[in-house]
Amino acid sequence: MNVWPLRFRKSGTEYLFSDDAGGFFRADQAFLERYVADGLLLSDYDFLRHGGHTFAEVGDLAHTAFAYRWSQRQAVRPELAYLILVPTLRCNLSCGYCQVSRAAEHAKGYDWTEETTEAVLRYLDQLGTSDIKIEFQGGEPLLRIDLLERVRSFCRERFASSKFVVCTNLQEMSPREWAFLEAGDTFVSTSLDGDMATHSRQRTHSAQATSKFLSNLDEAIERLGPHKVSALPTIDIDNPPDFEALINAYRSRGMRSLYLRPVNHQGFARRGRSVDADIERWNALHHAFVEHLIDLNYRIGAGLEEYYFSQCLRRALRSGADEHVDLRNPNFFASDYLVVDHDGKFYPTDEARMLSRIGRIDLSIGDVFSGLQTEKTDTLNAASLNNYDPDCVHCTFQPFCGSDLIDDISRYGRSDRAKTKTWFCRRHTSIFDHVFELMYRDDPATKHSLAQWSGVVSWGRHMAPELA
Amino acid sequence: MIPLRITAATPAVAPFVARLNAEGRAFELERTSGRTPFDLDLEIVGEGRSVYRSSSAELELRGIDAGEVDGDVVFIDPSRGIAHRLVRARSAHNTFLITERCDQLCVMCSQPPKRGHVDMFPYFEAAALLAPANMVLGISGGEPTLFKDQLLPFLDRVLTHRRDLSFHILTNAQHFEPTDLPSLARLPHDRVTWGVPLYSSDLVIHDSIVGKDGAFQKLTGGLAILAKSGATLELRTVLMSRNAADLPDLARFVTSQVPFSSSWAIMQLENIGFGRLNWNELFFDHSVQFEPVANAIDLARSRGLNVWLYNFPRCTVPEGYRHLAPATISDWKRRYPAACEECSVRDGCSGLFEWHTDDRGFQRFGTL
Ligand code: SF4
Ligand code: SF4
Repeated sequence: MNVWPLRFRKSGTEYLFSDDAGGFFRADQAFLERYVADGLLLSDYDFLRHGGHTFAEVGDLAHTAFAYRWSQRQAVRPELAYLILVPTLRCNLSCGYCQVSRAAEHAKGYDWTEETTEAVLRYLDQLGTSDIKIEFQGGEPLLRIDLLERVRSFCRERFASSKFVVCTNLQEMSPREWAFLEAGDTFVSTSLDGDMATHSRQRTHSAQATSKFLSNLDEAIERLGPHKVSALPTIDIDNPPDFEALINAYRSRGMRSLYLRPVNHQGFARRGRSVDADIERWNALHHAFVEHLIDLNYRIGAGLEEYYFSQCLRRALRSGADEHVDLRNPNFFASDYLVVDHDGKFYPTDEARMLSRIGRIDLSIGDVFSGLQTEKTDTLNAASLNNYDPDCVHCTFQPFCGSDLIDDISRYGRSDRAKTKTWFCRRHTSIFDHVFELMYRDDPATKHSLAQWSGVVSWGRHMAPELA
Repeated sequence: MIPLRITAATPAVAPFVARLNAEGRAFELERTSGRTPFDLDLEIVGEGRSVYRSSSAELELRGIDAGEVDGDVVFIDPSRGIAHRLVRARSAHNTFLITERCDQLCVMCSQPPKRGHVDMFPYFEAAALLAPANMVLGISGGEPTLFKDQLLPFLDRVLTHRRDLSFHILTNAQHFEPTDLPSLARLPHDRVTWGVPLYSSDLVIHDSIVGKDGAFQKLTGGLAILAKSGATLELRTVLMSRNAADLPDLARFVTSQVPFSSSWAIMQLENIGFGRLNWNELFFDHSVQFEPVANAIDLARSRGLNVWLYNFPRCTVPEGYRHLAPATISDWKRRYPAACEECSVRDGCSGLFEWHTDDRGFQRFGTL
């Protein structure tokens, strides 16, 4: 019998093992020693065979199933059907950590020109998809509601189905903005950083402006319906919000999925900071937040989740959980989505756009006038998978993890830094350690949340295989 | 119970297939030039009989309402005076029994196999081609793949001519060989589903249930061939006292060894055939002991596999799992006992098998 190669990692007092197709189990040190010394027992083989870690001959059921599971773990390259449009860089707020991606409200030269707008529409027109999603970013995109209206009318005519998301600060709303957002195909995404004080400190700089935002947010939920409004908190590790206050800001509005994002100390904002110290604090904060949710969910049936953690849990359990762009492997650039900046330039991600804007590196990959530069995307794509990375190949979490080349370039100015020394890797190592620790934790509160987050009725210990 | 056979008389001597058309349908066939040599139009109704005619054939049916069989495709066996309703136009549960032969002998078989075999393929092919639009046709037996050399080309032809039809085929997957790969692979995978039974991840238990040594081994080979052909697969496990405890293990086996199955159906026992004979030994009352079923469902679903409970009355299933128990018992063998009268979920519920006697039921049962 052949055993597929296993990778392992200490997990508590035991070891976590995984194979290339994402099968995993826990076993003790004695098993590890038998495994490396080629002295597995018959009972070990039985356990491994049952879990799909072995095969007898090429092409048999076990071999075919493994190949199938491996292939399902690889993200497929979808057709381009999601465009992030930045019709203006201007904004009516100046959030502390956003200097690089905005321009002053009345600045000139930061909007699509007529020529650019027409080129954007022409570009949309030649797309192959019949089902388009448009995300309007900024700046504050509602400052150019005229452009939003043009794009939306065009898409509704051109595509069989279309959906629009407006990433807005909901700060200044007139009847025209409300009318735009009220359409059935249009959704709102905004930022809500926690309680009043935190939100004022990080974004509006005044209690009055924050009140205005909050009343607009409540009105949006009321007028558009809760399913059409989503919000994300941005967390400053130097000054994190109180968990209770943060959770209440969401729960009181019927929002149960929170996605904590660290402030991106990009460019100037990051000068002189220690990335290592930051990531450790971030991991500790995230860990504590998830534990807090477990407790709250169990005690009061709050039904809350941290979105990214749930996503990682689902990826650990099954293939096909490829919705999140940081958690895909391979993570092709400019394949299913693309950013169009205020000057018509293409970027593979929003972060790439910001990096280029601060002059660190030019990551633009063409523009609406001349199309995509495929040599550049090919170069990026060649480095967008973790399967053959010299560190990832040894990592127990490789089948579940993703890759984020742009983040590596952004933080370290290069894409070939040892993975284990990157923010991305340390963040994901910490999350996956936590994910697997919870799966094997024998505690009713944890099981309660795991069931909810993984989408099953009840979570029992049999869900996570363990060699007795 | 809905009748599947009708008393019939015809001057013809040889068996034939006919589609029955009342006035509206007959008119529609004229209008759309959709008439085929198999179409018989209703001419006389009265005194419990209906007479159908075409330019070349005549058929009299007794004891049936002409409206009920309108659009049906029947197979007429003149020597026995019977019309078999091969395709009931108003039902979603039409199944062609390809053969009564089988190489397994399952302890709970609802239609115990027989030795003889009558080749009905030409009639089934005609019936399929005459079926109403967008129908899903069942293929069952016995074991249909004993005749795979006829079955596979039959499927290919019907699905090529009728792009709207789909098939659901029940097979024990004992007879696929690598040489069948091309014929399996060329079938449209979105319109052919293979339902394959797997009773335990323990080969001894599986083999004993299907009454055939080496069946498990053969089955794994067959599943690998189906996988390589890209086939759409539905695994089926009848829940019995013999395999209930093993169900969570089976869930792990399915997710790791048969991950390409698009769904897994856990099915309650049918009280007919051997199932009725061996009821006391086999029946597992999940209404009082749901845990192994729950554990299996949770594990499989966490790994992304769709799991369904077939033939599970909703009131016998704990609430969290009820949405996984759709109405699956075919209309012609389904019954709702008195308790169902007032029940709020009746429309989405399987109810019971017609032949499910009250003394052989679930301990926990009743109106929701
Ligand atoms: S990035 Fe880090 S955590 Fe992710 S697979 Fe690579 S080594 Fe593992
Ligand atoms: S009472 Fe009848 S209809 Fe209601 S759940 Fe039970 S079997 Fe189904």
